[in-house]
Amino acid sequence: MSTTSTLLSPELLARLEKMELISRKIFRGRMKGERRSRRKGQSVEFADFRNYVPGDDLRFIDWNTYARLERLFLKLFLEEEDLHFYALIDASASMDFGEPTKLRYAQQLAAALGFVGLIRGDRVRIETLGQPSAAASPVFRGRRSMWRMLEYIEGCAPGESTSLASGVKNFCLRNSGKGIVVLLSDLMDKAGYESALRYLLTQQMDVYVVQVLSAEEIDPELTGDLRLVDCEDGDQTEVTVSGPLLKRYKETLDAFTQSAREYCTRRGMVYLLAHNEIPLEAMITDYLARRGLVR
Amino acid sequence: MWPTWINMLSWWQWAILLAVPPAITLLYFLKLRRRPVEVPSTYLWSRTVEDLHVNSIWQRLRRNLLLFLQLLLLLLIIVALLRPAWRGQKLIGHRFVFLIDNSASMRASDVEPNRLEQAKLQASALVDNMISGDVGMVISFADTARVEQMFTGDRSALRRAIESIEPTDRPTSLIEALKVASAQTNARQRTSENNEQNTEPAETLPATAYILSDGRFEQVTESSLGALTPIYIPIGTPSPANVAILAFTVRQDENQDRRQAFARLKNFGTKKSRVEATLRLNGNLYDADRVSIGPGEVQGIVFDVGQIDSGVLELEIETHDCLDADNRAWAVVNMPQPADVLLVSPGNHPLELALGTERASKLAHVVVEPPSVLETPEYETAALGGAYDLIIYDRCRPATMPQANTLFFGRVPPVEGWSLGKPVEAPQIIDIDPNHPMMQWLAMDDVLIGEGRPIGVGPGGDILVDSDAGPLLAIAPREAFQDAAVGFVLVEQQEEKSEGRTTWFIRPSFPMFVLNTLAYLGHHVQASGEQTVRPGRPIMLDIAADNRSVLVAQPDGRTVRPTATRTGQSSFSATDQLGIYEVRANGECVSRFAVNLFDSNESDLPPRQKLDVGFEEIAGQAGWEAARREIWRPLLLLGLFVLIVEWYIFNQRVSM
Repeated sequence: MSTTSTLLSPELLARLEKMELISRKIFRGRMKGERRSRRKGQSVEFADFRNYVPGDDLRFIDWNTYARLERLFLKLFLEEEDLHFYALIDASASMDFGEPTKLRYAQQLAAALGFVGLIRGDRVRIETLGQPSAAASPVFRGRRSMWRMLEYIEGCAPGESTSLASGVKNFCLRNSGKGIVVLLSDLMDKAGYESALRYLLTQQMDVYVVQVLSAEEIDPELTGDLRLVDCEDGDQTEVTVSGPLLKRYKETLDAFTQSAREYCTRRGMVYLLAHNEIPLEAMITDYLARRGLVR
Repeated sequence: MWPTWINMLSWWQWAILLAVPPAITLLYFLKLRRRPVEVPSTYLWSRTVEDLHVNSIWQRLRRNLLLFLQLLLLLLIIVALLRPAWRGQKLIGHRFVFLIDNSASMRASDVEPNRLEQAKLQASALVDNMISGDVGMVISFADTARVEQMFTGDRSALRRAIESIEPTDRPTSLIEALKVASAQTNARQRTSENNEQNTEPAETLPATAYILSDGRFEQVTESSLGALTPIYIPIGTPSPANVAILAFTVRQDENQDRRQAFARLKNFGTKKSRVEATLRLNGNLYDADRVSIGPGEVQGIVFDVGQIDSGVLELEIETHDCLDADNRAWAVVNMPQPADVLLVSPGNHPLELALGTERASKLAHVVVEPPSVLETPEYETAALGGAYDLIIYDRCRPATMPQANTLFFGRVPPVEGWSLGKPVEAPQIIDIDPNHPMMQWLAMDDVLIGEGRPIGVGPGGDILVDSDAGPLLAIAPREAFQDAAVGFVLVEQQEEKSEGRTTWFIRPSFPMFVLNTLAYLGHHVQASGEQTVRPGRPIMLDIAADNRSVLVAQPDGRTVRPTATRTGQSSFSATDQLGIYEVRANGECVSRFAVNLFDSNESDLPPRQKLDVGFEEIAGQAGWEAARREIWRPLLLLGLFVLIVEWYIFNQRVSM
């Protein structure tokens, strides 16, 4: 196990240690964690009373109430649970563009968020879209798993040719549990991103969609008569780059991101546009914090 | 009008040329090589391009703009190769002299905006028709000709010269202009020959003289065309309306007290015209009259202006006609300025008495000196410098004649031609010349003369008083002056006492004669009102040689300093403007004169249809001949422009 990782710098790690993942929903965890859950359980935080029924744990009977009212009541406490955090990375060929590549940026983001989760004792699972539906990725928990997680993330190679929708579908099939899912993708799928996001919605997860674009896509530096070749499906489009065309391209891009944002916002998902020139630290401590993913 | 064509290529060359457009189109649709570039996704690009396909026909046009520009360029080249030409006009010859009339009649507004502007326009059009290699010269002419631009091929310089021509109020003389034009044509030729070799005689290159005028000038009798081929372009409409003031003077009435203003009006138009004439005295309305004048008729108007000593009379006629310059006229009545008179006499009481009357002192300022003054340098300076208007020598005479009018009693001027005969006892006056201003209203038949000496007068002299013994009073001109001599004396000095030698000075005719003499020889006949001159003509002003403070104010307010001469007379010729000129000495107005058009040639507006120059008759005609005007140059220039646009679009990709 390597002791250093290029994904996250030590300074960033130091900052991330102070953060935690926030879920807007309170989910059932599988194990006791550091989060309050809706489930009443053993913690120090009082939640409610209920009548005693035979079989209840006698340890929770409120004897003071019994002394006053001569009836048995059970004191209910809030249970603290762990959180499921999923990072779903789009590792298609189109993500392999930019400097740093969009995939690299997505990996860094996933690593940072996963690290926060590990620190707070959450269950962290990193997946890629191209993963076969049967093969689930390992679950990381606890600080010690950090290096393993980073190694796993580094291992994600570009070039998967799964469509966004089927990748998300497989993910949903593998992971029925609730929690936070962060989809890191450029959403550039000719079939559209809507069906993919709809799968995530049905999971009743706390969904964050981070659209990762490269600077080249936002402000293309192309000139001349060109034949644009799609790196995924080899589709060709002939353009003669001109001022008006570039203007129109930017309008189209704006319309695309705006529609994605609207689609997500209407359905209670959080949409975030990132491009590879925003520094990772700013991305997490500023952009994501503002969206309420981390605190 | 369809262009005519000339085929410049043979059939096979055409075949090659015509194969080019299909080739370009073919190549264009075979498509330009596009550079393949791998992008993350063509998703957004294809959507962008799809948007552009929506308004597709126009988009396709725009997409193929470069192709269309190339085809257009080729089309222009093909059309240019066919050498299209319009049936156009061309000037006759290659050397041109544009003679533009700027005399008073060219101010007429029967063509818009006036004839001069029209002539300038036509001249500019002629200049525009010059082709490269042609040279032109611009001359403006009225009564004098002025070279505005020497021979040049620079058409903008010619146009500037034409534009700079200003209208004048002067009369017209074509002969001047033709002389200048032919002199300039020849002079240039000579100089250019001199530069090379002197052995060959100067050859005069022919030139075409375009005369842009209304033809209102005296016929040119002498042929001075030389190598010039004249072409006359008449300017103006055939029958413009015009009523002109041809004369306007102020005269003294017979009874001396009253003055009358006479005006002569003529209708040069073809219709009867009603004219309102307004007379102003010093700018204030004084009198008005209304006359109606038939076509070609002359009418006089008389205004009674009463007794005025000085002032400006302005006559203006109101009528709808084409020339304004002849609708106003001015006349001046100048305050008589006392003449400076020197009486050199050993003592002459009757004469001094006659010079000292109230009326005489209004006319003259008299200084009396004894004959010894003739020897002094002060006298010499004053007499030769023109300080006196009149010097009366009584029984004495100077060694040299002064720069002044003179009157001698008992002597004759020391000038060749004058002589004094032997004394004759009691000569009888038998005749006087009553028409001479000095002898007006004189009756001398009651005059007795003790002793007289007949006077011999030089050439050009007039005998004013004749007696049985011979002339007793004569006058003769000397340079700009007049000398008069009386052949008898009035008084004789006898032992400290003067005795009369004639009865003249006790007769009423003597003071009258003195007054006439002061008025005539003291230069005061002109003051009564004939101070008018035609534009551009010189006028004589009385200015003493040492007087530097005299200025002449022109009607527009500018002042001109006249050049003083030794004779005390100055010829002033800056009289281009119509109106009143004021002569000012030390800032005060001492006299005025008027400049009036008074030119029936200029006021007679209908342009002449042909000119007679020498024995040639020049009919009015258009100044050009038919010619092919080729337009392949502008076509190629347009092609160049298209090429530049194409290049710009290719580089800027302003459209797609």
